[in-house]
Amino acid sequence: MINGRQQTIVVEKGANVNIIIIVFPGVSCDVKLDVRLAGEGAEANIYGAYVCGGAERVKISVDMCHNVHHCNSRQLFKGIAGGESRVDFYGKIIVAKDAQKTEAYQENHNLLLSEKAKVDTKPQLEIYADDVKCSHGATIGRLNEEEQFYMRSRGITLEDAKVLQMISFISPVLENITAETERVAVAAEFESHIRNIIRNI
Amino acid sequence: MANDILLKIEGLRASVEDKEILKGVDLTIRKGEIHAVMGPNGAGKSTLSAVLAGKPQFTVTAGSIEFLGQDLLAMSPEERAWAGIFLSFQYPVEIPGVTITNFMKTAVNAHRAGKGLEPLKAGDFLKLMREKMAFVQMKPEFAKREVNVGFSGGEKKRNEIFQMAMLDPTLAILDETDSGLDVDALRIVANGVNALHTPEKAAIVITHYQRLLDYIVPDVVHVLKDGRIVKTAGKELVAEIEEKGYDNL
Repeated sequence: MINGRQQTIVVEKGANVNIIIIVFPGVSCDVKLDVRLAGEGAEANIYGAYVCGGAERVKISVDMCHNVHHCNSRQLFKGIAGGESRVDFYGKIIVAKDAQKTEAYQENHNLLLSEKAKVDTKPQLEIYADDVKCSHGATIGRLNEEEQFYMRSRGITLEDAKVLQMISFISPVLENITAETERVAVAAEFESHIRNIIRNI
Repeated sequence: MANDILLKIEGLRASVEDKEILKGVDLTIRKGEIHAVMGPNGAGKSTLSAVLAGKPQFTVTAGSIEFLGQDLLAMSPEERAWAGIFLSFQYPVEIPGVTITNFMKTAVNAHRAGKGLEPLKAGDFLKLMREKMAFVQMKPEFAKREVNVGFSGGEKKRNEIFQMAMLDPTLAILDETDSGLDVDALRIVANGVNALHTPEKAAIVITHYQRLLDYIVPDVVHVLKDGRIVKTAGKELVAEIEEKGYDNL
């Protein structure tokens, strides 16, 4: 992963780009993406999953620029912050004046596992066109205790209940890894890391 | 006979957020018995079921619960499940992202691990799933759905009985299983509970109304009012409650 340097991606007419950012525990990073949808029908899908359990610093920033009409973008970032980690998410959708019929969506959802972990999320919309469909959403929550009790009442241990909750939380991101071998490998690696994090809480 | 006793609750007091809900409950259940716990809203019926299943938000301040001779209050919710306790929730919880198959596989294998057994083979597990889904008349697609997400009231309760069939508990606690059910779903659920009942097991049916007890006939009926059991009798008490209401008991 390129740290700290801005990566510019230009998507031309009819082209599409799919980016999946995976940040495993123990990894600090500073990812800056500048995506420009520069030709009609261009499409960008950006997904990210991060899990932090120690003292990681994860910074992700995306500028999604819809420069012309009829382009689509979708962003989904989901992450878990435990330990003393710190996550900063900055995502901006910019729709130029002539970029009519834009469809742009962005979501960032976070789970906080500890009192000392910190998540700062800043979703932004800058829209200059008037015929567009855009939305963004950001949440920061904690593991749901009602779900945990329900699972435990079925004999699922508290540890397994938390693993299930956390894996299911990030799985909408992992589902976008089209190569099955890689998808299964990434999910398995996340699961073993998550188990370690839970055991150390 | 003392060794017939499955569950023995003595002097149970429990609070939630410093508010006392159960104010001294005594209840003994023997193998083969079905007990109904009836009572007005706010009497503590759901608290009793939550305390039996070990919900962490409730604090037991006095009393004891013995289940098959073990100190239930010293056990975690999952240990209670392994020991044979099952709670059918009044409001089953939605778990987005977790399929019924994954959920049940984790639960069944956790029970097995609790008993020192190897995980069930994939083929055997799927066979068990299919058999128990048919038992509560669930379609095969059900296995792929996320736990309770977007389920109708009837589907949620059938899912509870499906899980009960999968886990085969010794003591089933049915908390207001009749709420939100139409008559067809009620019949499926009640038939399920009756079919799972054996002389070695017991059930506690918690309900506000007579309706469910027309299908699941209790041996003993208790009335819980303001955190205490105020009356205990045979099944004839159900009709008396229906006629007189809780206020005139």
